[in-house]
Amino acid sequence: MSPRGRQVLLAEGLARQGHVAPAVEACYEALRLDEGDPLVHTLLSDLFLAGDFYDEAIAAASRAIELDADCAPAYLSLGLAYDRRGGMWDQSILVWHELAEVVPDLVTAHVQLGEAFAAAAFEEEAIEAWKKALELDAHEARAMYNLAVAALKKEGMATALPGFRKAGELDPSQDDFFFALAGVYDDGTPAPDPIDVPPDRDSRLAAAFALAFEEDFFSAVDLIRLILDDNPDDPEALALAGYLYLKQEAVNEAMAVALRALAVSTKTPTAVYVLGAAFAKRPGLNRNAARVFGALAKAVPNQPMPHVLLAESLLGLQRYGQAKQAYLRAVELDPTFVRARFGLAAVLLTEGEYALAHHEIRRAAYHDTRRQGLFWQLYDVYAEARE
Amino acid sequence: MPTRKSGPRQPRQRIEREQATPASVPRRATAEAAAATAPAKALQRNPLFPVGVSLYPLDTETQGPDDWYERDLSEDLAALAEARCALVRIFVSWRVLEPQVGQYSEEALAKLASLVADARAKKMQTVVCLFADDRHADLTDVGWGKKRDPRTDSYLLQREVALAQKVVSHLRSDSGVFAWQLGNEAFLSGFESAEALEAWVNALREAIREIDPKRPIGLGADAETLYRATGVDATDVLAANEFAVSHLTAAYRAYAAEGPLTSGPSTYLDAFLLRNAHRGRPVLLDEVGVLALDHSAAEEAAYVRNVLWSGLMNRAAGVMLRRYRDMDTERREPYFLDPFETLVGVADSEGLPKPVFSEIARFVRTVARIDLKSHALIAERTAVVVPSERFDPLPSLAGLYDPRACLQAFIIAKQAHVPVTVVREDDDFGEYLVLVVPSAFKLRDETWERLGAFVQGGGTLLMSYGGGDAPAATRDLFGVEFLGDAGPRSRLSCRVAQADILGALESFDARFDVPNHALLSGGTATIVATDAKGSPLLTVNQVGQGRAVFVAVPLERAIAQGDPWATPRPVSHLAREVYGAVARGAGCGAPVLCRAPEVEVALFQGEADDVLVLLNHAPEKVDADLECDRRVASIADVRGGAPVAVGGKAFTVPLEANGATALRVTYA
Repeated sequence: MSPRGRQVLLAEGLARQGHVAPAVEACYEALRLDEGDPLVHTLLSDLFLAGDFYDEAIAAASRAIELDADCAPAYLSLGLAYDRRGGMWDQSILVWHELAEVVPDLVTAHVQLGEAFAAAAFEEEAIEAWKKALELDAHEARAMYNLAVAALKKEGMATALPGFRKAGELDPSQDDFFFALAGVYDDGTPAPDPIDVPPDRDSRLAAAFALAFEEDFFSAVDLIRLILDDNPDDPEALALAGYLYLKQEAVNEAMAVALRALAVSTKTPTAVYVLGAAFAKRPGLNRNAARVFGALAKAVPNQPMPHVLLAESLLGLQRYGQAKQAYLRAVELDPTFVRARFGLAAVLLTEGEYALAHHEIRRAAYHDTRRQGLFWQLYDVYAEARE
Repeated sequence: MPTRKSGPRQPRQRIEREQATPASVPRRATAEAAAATAPAKALQRNPLFPVGVSLYPLDTETQGPDDWYERDLSEDLAALAEARCALVRIFVSWRVLEPQVGQYSEEALAKLASLVADARAKKMQTVVCLFADDRHADLTDVGWGKKRDPRTDSYLLQREVALAQKVVSHLRSDSGVFAWQLGNEAFLSGFESAEALEAWVNALREAIREIDPKRPIGLGADAETLYRATGVDATDVLAANEFAVSHLTAAYRAYAAEGPLTSGPSTYLDAFLLRNAHRGRPVLLDEVGVLALDHSAAEEAAYVRNVLWSGLMNRAAGVMLRRYRDMDTERREPYFLDPFETLVGVADSEGLPKPVFSEIARFVRTVARIDLKSHALIAERTAVVVPSERFDPLPSLAGLYDPRACLQAFIIAKQAHVPVTVVREDDDFGEYLVLVVPSAFKLRDETWERLGAFVQGGGTLLMSYGGGDAPAATRDLFGVEFLGDAGPRSRLSCRVAQADILGALESFDARFDVPNHALLSGGTATIVATDAKGSPLLTVNQVGQGRAVFVAVPLERAIAQGDPWATPRPVSHLAREVYGAVARGAGCGAPVLCRAPEVEVALFQGEADDVLVLLNHAPEKVDADLECDRRVASIADVRGGAPVAVGGKAFTVPLEANGATALRVTYA
């Protein structure tokens, strides 16, 4: 039992707020009080990692592990630092193995272990690790992307493409994009109860989108039905209906509804998206999907997702050069976009640019782990366990 | 034909060669004149830009320390001679040369001399490295040393002095020796203090100078990479030597510019280190080559091509490649990359040249066609200032952030095609017209005074906010009132208030993480651009004869710390425009306008013609649209071929992915 000192709490607070320099100073101050506190060394390692200072992160995380071999967040920092530092795959494999033992249900440890194996050219072991990750969490998009990349290396794009698509579906950002097109954002307000929704078209539509956003598809469908009963040619309601069909894997219905919406009004971006997504789900319709997503990318050029969707359709058409440009545009718009990074890696692999492809995969891993906030989850669990 | 071997030689009248009347150098050269001014016969190599390769003593991991240079190197030397390399580096093995205290192996000394003689016979000179660690041959691990540290142990230091004198006196009379190198970075990284390093260097230098007073002596360490590896600042020690070296280590690459070798920041890193090491002495761009076999042969070749041309364009005195033959390692994977291990060469372990070797030969042949006596690079009047806080230890993060921010500033200047170099905060600023201080947390008080005088005297200062409190000098120098640090932001917005003061700026909103944002209020400065809320983002203040430009965000650090491969286009455009406009306004802008930021441009000016060198830093083909300030009569590849008439100021040069070209330009 060793409660966190005030200085450690201060350092933690600063680090959580992203104030790297003051947090590092606070950590050093805490180390002056107690050099042997693994929490502080762990914090330091994450702060150094946030600044891409790998050697410093490795030193700090190693010290934390020396002080406490069960310090899971330090293993995470150490493994990430080794991976991103490059050329240290053997250490990286060991660290991810260790972390998987310390926290057996940590999916990311298995994903990272697979990536370290793959970087060291142990493809079979890598595939095993990613499969293990998917066993633990069937919605782990990065494991699926990696399996798709492995399939690409072994058997080519035709085999790999469904994997990329499946991974994309696991990635929640595609749904977010649909709702962004509809102007629906997570502002913390819960969706209304369908019974309380005023009986006018706008209120019903807004509520339907909000319910769909919260994945309460049946309630959303009820409201959409009411809107369409009043006006069967409401393009936005039709587009949302198409989206809901898509979520239920009713691709033909989604396609029909989206086409109907676009026949009523061509200026319905949500319907364009649904139509493209429906085309993309049907084998042999990549050309159609590419046209639709191309139009969408022109309509909303500053959103990365349509560029990625366009690129994926172009991959299906084996137009790798154009796909690369679309992926690059998406990465430029959002460097943290894991799906674009993996797609770009796939294109680079088809071009024989292995080093560049692995760089993209490393960057994807980097952004994915930061997005997950995994360090803080492990840190909090570890700190509470110590207390 | 009858002749005789001996006997008095009869005086003979020499046949007078018809002296070609020297072509008067045309002041207004034409396409024909371009052909006339090109060297009639190609030189084998350019004596002012030697290229060489290190020859390591072991070829395979199965060999032991006693197998030092066991294999006959004639084949390797012949291949290097054919590629017109001018230098080779060989490594002395203390262990082999002095097997017992004070007893030198005459056989080993003879082998060393024969290596130098072999190289000389093939018209190459040798750099002899006295105390190196190659991680395999235990070169400095003398059995009788009882594991004492040869860097600091006084007895071993005496023995090192004796060995150095023995080797130097043995080879002194051989004209094949080009220079003495005291150590390599792997060995020197064992020093724990600058004082110990200085004492070691002084002792060995004095020892060598007693015997060989003239030949250049170098240390073999890059101050920047050594500091990163050890925390030892060897700048002053290096300054005592006749030549410096700059080189990239695996650790430094991972720190400063990890990622692809053939695009983005890593393609500028060698040039940055070269400029950083260039402190008034010739700098050998050393240990060039890839560090691991992660890359394809084509990528290796593209990378080395990039570095070779970067060296030429950034005032290197020559280039040394890392290794000739690949080390034949034992089959084991995964393989830990020792930062100082040298495994990858320009030929495979059987001695078959890799594509990178052809690149070297092609580069040497091309550079041989550039007369570096009559053509000189335009002087760099823009300098990126490395703040002294860069040497502050942790917990100050300035030591970690600043080199990256400075590298990024260097890259932006290069992308704006501004001739640029790197100086330190305590260097003399007198020879520069523009100083760039990128994202520094703090400068010394006396530096602020010097910067004030610099601007008063007509210089231009471009500074970006680094975070924290702004010094009092900000108000006088930049003409703005500092109200505080708004902290990190995830978007950067720019609203242009005054067009064309600092280039063709455009308003934008971009997703771009900035760690700090200075809140400013107007003073005497002209506000060129603001953020979305109207707070000044970019200001210009006229001070005395000069100008002080302030950027309210740590732009360079933000680009470096973000994803330098995916910087939003508007942000990189803003940075390039500001750098370019500031240099242009100070009269030291791009000598040749180029519309492709990824193309580095260097202009070697001559009397009758200029040599324009272009290097594509992108892994894609680029058409470089160029515009000179004078009417160009013709351009021609320096390697020969018919000049192409231009007849205007603008022309386009297609460049392959990571390609480079050198063009002879004549003016109408």
